[in-house]
Amino acid sequence: MKVKLWGTRGSIPAPGPETIRYGGNTSCVGVTLADGSMLALDAGTGIRCLGLALPDEPTRLHILLTHLHLDHIQGLVFFAPAFRPQTEIVIWGPASPEASLRDRIARYISAPLSPVEVRELPCDVSFRHCPESEWEIGSARIRSASVSHRGPTLGYRIDDGDSSLAYVPDHEPALGADLDRLEEDWISGFELARDASLLIHDGQYTDAEYPDHVGWGHSATSHALSFARRTGAERTVLFHHDPLHSDDQLDELGREARDRWIGFGGDPARIELAAERAEYELPVRAAKALA
Amino acid sequence: MTQRPLELILARNLMSALSTPAFLVDEGGLLVFYNEAAGMLLGKRFEELGAVGPQEWGSLFGPFDENGEPIPYDDLPLVRAVRAGRPAHAELTVRSTDGSHHDVEVSAFPIQTPHGSQGAIAVFWPSLANSNGAAA
Repeated sequence: MKVKLWGTRGSIPAPGPETIRYGGNTSCVGVTLADGSMLALDAGTGIRCLGLALPDEPTRLHILLTHLHLDHIQGLVFFAPAFRPQTEIVIWGPASPEASLRDRIARYISAPLSPVEVRELPCDVSFRHCPESEWEIGSARIRSASVSHRGPTLGYRIDDGDSSLAYVPDHEPALGADLDRLEEDWISGFELARDASLLIHDGQYTDAEYPDHVGWGHSATSHALSFARRTGAERTVLFHHDPLHSDDQLDELGREARDRWIGFGGDPARIELAAERAEYELPVRAAKALA
Repeated sequence: MTQRPLELILARNLMSALSTPAFLVDEGGLLVFYNEAAGMLLGKRFEELGAVGPQEWGSLFGPFDENGEPIPYDDLPLVRAVRAGRPAHAELTVRSTDGSHHDVEVSAFPIQTPHGSQGAIAVFWPSLANSNGAAA
């Protein structure tokens, strides 16, 4: 399984000279499975560049949306493959009692917010609510689960061969909870991330910033690290960077995160900050990094 | 170990922050959590007791009706809320581990999710009719 980060930023795009190294595009992760099947995890502005990198030939792509906040769907109307009739796109996302996934996405892909309507997209696009049980896409088994964030929000786990990717970009598992002491079955998102080869997890705020953002649906650094430690993820990428964080600030945040991880007794090389265009090839599962 | 539904996790997190005694059962009626205020009322913290089924719960704490008779499991507000998917309310008496009795009013409501009922929450209030020291 190959993983590439196309958008690492949260909330709103943050382009500019201050964010060149970690990137300014919002959430999107490209995944190529062992059998060649392609997934996009979320469709923030990063999916525009993912689309430009795809070959101009018949393509089938699955887009797995964690939720429908704008920073996770904003790139859909600028996703070039959606404007090719030879493209088939399956969009997966959370169910809601309020309206279908298609109708909720159409609120964005419609006037006055968009120049095109869903029905005008030349590609073959379909919308599916994520099932409660595990399902298959290509060579992978996919699992989704509701996680602690504002509004219906999913996290995903993708198992492909012996490798597993957990993607929980918007997550506040520490809201009203002590992650270091709580039983694991009471931790939001735990089963998605348990022993994952790679965990991509919300790390939007520093610990100093978090008290002003309690309940906003995102994690402080220490929460993300506690979650990673408890779940036994082999490698963790802190994702969904705050748009106010410059590259220099993120460098410092990364240093603090690695120092904390060392304090846990872990290998600092297994903690990193998400950088746009970073690529990961997930190996056959290694021994657990940290008990 | 199976992951708890998010709605139960969030309910527990909320209850943990309340000063009102509150109880949480899963969709099968198993008591899976109560908060510190409830622990003070009962005389035993949840961490000491752990998750318990209705039989053990009944033998430990009652509850009892106005005549001092044990209330059948099926008639408890929490159980009614889980089974019927409707709120339920009752006045009853619970027995603390030190033997003292507390008259309370109980309001229970089901936790309905897109995937169906996941359990119920009950909040205990000191009875207005005969307040004899139930925790506030």
